[in-house]
Amino acid sequence: MKNSNQTNTVKPSDKSKIEHRKTLIKVQSIEQSFKVGEETIDVLHESSFSIQEKTFNIIYGPSGSGKSTLLNVLSALQPPTKGRVEVAGFDIYKYKPEQLAYFRGSQIGVVYQSNYWVSSLNVIENVALPLYFLGHKKTEAHRKAMDALQRIDMAPFSKKNPLLLSGGEQQRIAMARAIVTDPMLIIADEPTGSLDTKNGDMIMALLQSYNRDLKRTVVLVTHNMEYLPLADKLIRINDGQCIEMNNEDVGDTTKELIKDMTTRIDKLAESKKNG
Amino acid sequence: MDNMHHTMLRSKRPTISMKLLLYMSWQNIISKKLRSWLTIMGIVVGIGSISFLVSFGLGLQQIVTDNVVGDNSIRSIEITTPNSKIIKLDNKSIEKIREFPHIDKLGVAFSFPASINLSGGGIDSIIYGVDDDFQEMTTLNLVEGRLLKNTDTDTVIVSTAALKAIGISDTKKAINQSVEITAPLQYADSKLEDLNQKFKIVGIIDSGQDNEMFTSSSVFEAKKVPTYKQAKVIADDTKNINALRTQIEASGFQTSSPIDTLEQINQLFKFFNFVLAGFGAIGIFVALLGMFNTLTISLLERTKEIGLMVTLGGRRRDMRRLFMIEASILSIIGALMGITLSFIGGQIVNEVANQNASSRVSERFDIFSTPFWLVAILIIFMLVVGLLVAFFPAKRAEKINPIDALRRE
Repeated sequence: MKNSNQTNTVKPSDKSKIEHRKTLIKVQSIEQSFKVGEETIDVLHESSFSIQEKTFNIIYGPSGSGKSTLLNVLSALQPPTKGRVEVAGFDIYKYKPEQLAYFRGSQIGVVYQSNYWVSSLNVIENVALPLYFLGHKKTEAHRKAMDALQRIDMAPFSKKNPLLLSGGEQQRIAMARAIVTDPMLIIADEPTGSLDTKNGDMIMALLQSYNRDLKRTVVLVTHNMEYLPLADKLIRINDGQCIEMNNEDVGDTTKELIKDMTTRIDKLAESKKNG
Repeated sequence: MDNMHHTMLRSKRPTISMKLLLYMSWQNIISKKLRSWLTIMGIVVGIGSISFLVSFGLGLQQIVTDNVVGDNSIRSIEITTPNSKIIKLDNKSIEKIREFPHIDKLGVAFSFPASINLSGGGIDSIIYGVDDDFQEMTTLNLVEGRLLKNTDTDTVIVSTAALKAIGISDTKKAINQSVEITAPLQYADSKLEDLNQKFKIVGIIDSGQDNEMFTSSSVFEAKKVPTYKQAKVIADDTKNINALRTQIEASGFQTSSPIDTLEQINQLFKFFNFVLAGFGAIGIFVALLGMFNTLTISLLERTKEIGLMVTLGGRRRDMRRLFMIEASILSIIGALMGITLSFIGGQIVNEVANQNASSRVSERFDIFSTPFWLVAILIIFMLVVGLLVAFFPAKRAEKINPIDALRRE
């Protein structure tokens, strides 16, 4: 992918040419349902979309709309009930669990809203963890982990226990862990959800630099509408239905969403006044 | 990407090394110091008590064996006749036995009731007429003088008890003293006359309360005594003893061997040691419950961590291994410490017992004996039961679904 000449001519800002980029992920009519007792709950209805390589993608939708399930399907953790997910032309769920584990470790970097750590390991060991699982030696893994920490200016924290750091610091270290294996895809699930604006913006800036400078594909799930204009592509999910929109539509969508919201708030205020 | 596809399909994908899994397990153990120590202590007490009790059993067994078998070679066989009138232990049969395979040494002995007389009234004793080989096989505890020579015809070795009976208490003065010995040889052949001869005391032995004398077999051979009282054989190897005995018994003789007693002792102690190990096993059982508890709590606490590791590329079998390794580390540390403590305890008891008994016992003895095989068996045993206990938590760790584990609350 690094040798692909096609994208070198396309500036990140040149949104109209996004569609001409190579497709990295192709989601083909996936459906997801879970059985709870006798009942079958459909979480994702038939949805198809694609994600182009080296683009910044945002999945947006209200809570309970199926965002997390979609993300699990994309991050090779949950095979869909129907349909297929192709990554660079390979139907990933045809692979065995152990092969998928290797795929996750080598090709996907994940950041979550809340931070998860192996509490008995320090910062650098936690960052190096994906490399451990890929069979790297400890010294080599730690060297790469240190590089990743340096990139986000967290190198002085390498020997600390991650659980003793602040939320913002933890989230930055999670960002280092997400890129330590040099994955092609970074999946961020509400990474700013539990941070203040300043720290949240810092994480967003990092994600953007991973996309622009490191040329990684980013898939972000967020509630925060402020970030929607950053996306090359927006995937809106509502009641398990995915609708993909390109950047030129994003502005309009944002306006629409904000209009919807202000109307809701106005209505609420009015009803209170009347009540 | 093509490269990735390739790597994924390969049957031997690079994966986490055992060294790193060990490191991660170790980090987890030391991050929960108190809990890990309590678990290890349980194992220390359990394995320590088994080790201590079994070492005690083995030590006692060794002491008893040493006392019973004593200086007799474990390879020796005593040969007697069940009926001296019908089956004669004479020169002819001895020569026949000498031809049997697997014989290292063969000695013969006469024995008669006798009276020993220094000046006037004699006292009752027993006299053995032994050849050189028999004398060698019968370890005589010489306190003064020398042993017999086959060429001697008028020398005798007397036990301290016999010496006291004839009124000599100073062993040094007894050497070269002349005594008169009478023995009724009719016990062997009714045609024979009594042995009545003066002997010179050349050696004095300590055989406890036994009132006995030894002289050369040539004394009785000169009197034409036709049959020996007993013979003793040393086999060339312990594994040939049974074959040799069968062969000798086929000729009509009776045999006995220290192995008979030894087998009885071993049988008894096998049972005794099992009972002792059983008491210790109660401790192990409690320790295993503790370890099961620790691993289960650890599993519940680490559900999210395990989910995370699977998300980051960890394989399910690696998650299982983490628990198995952790159980192994706890087991081995606990077992080593338990054995070491029980060994130190046993050595202290040995030392104290030897100090107290030094005035009465000449040789050093060990009440507690911890052979290497016991150490090896205990470590392997603990490792196996530790892994069995870890099996269920480890299986649960393997089955953790990362999506459920990391679900947002």
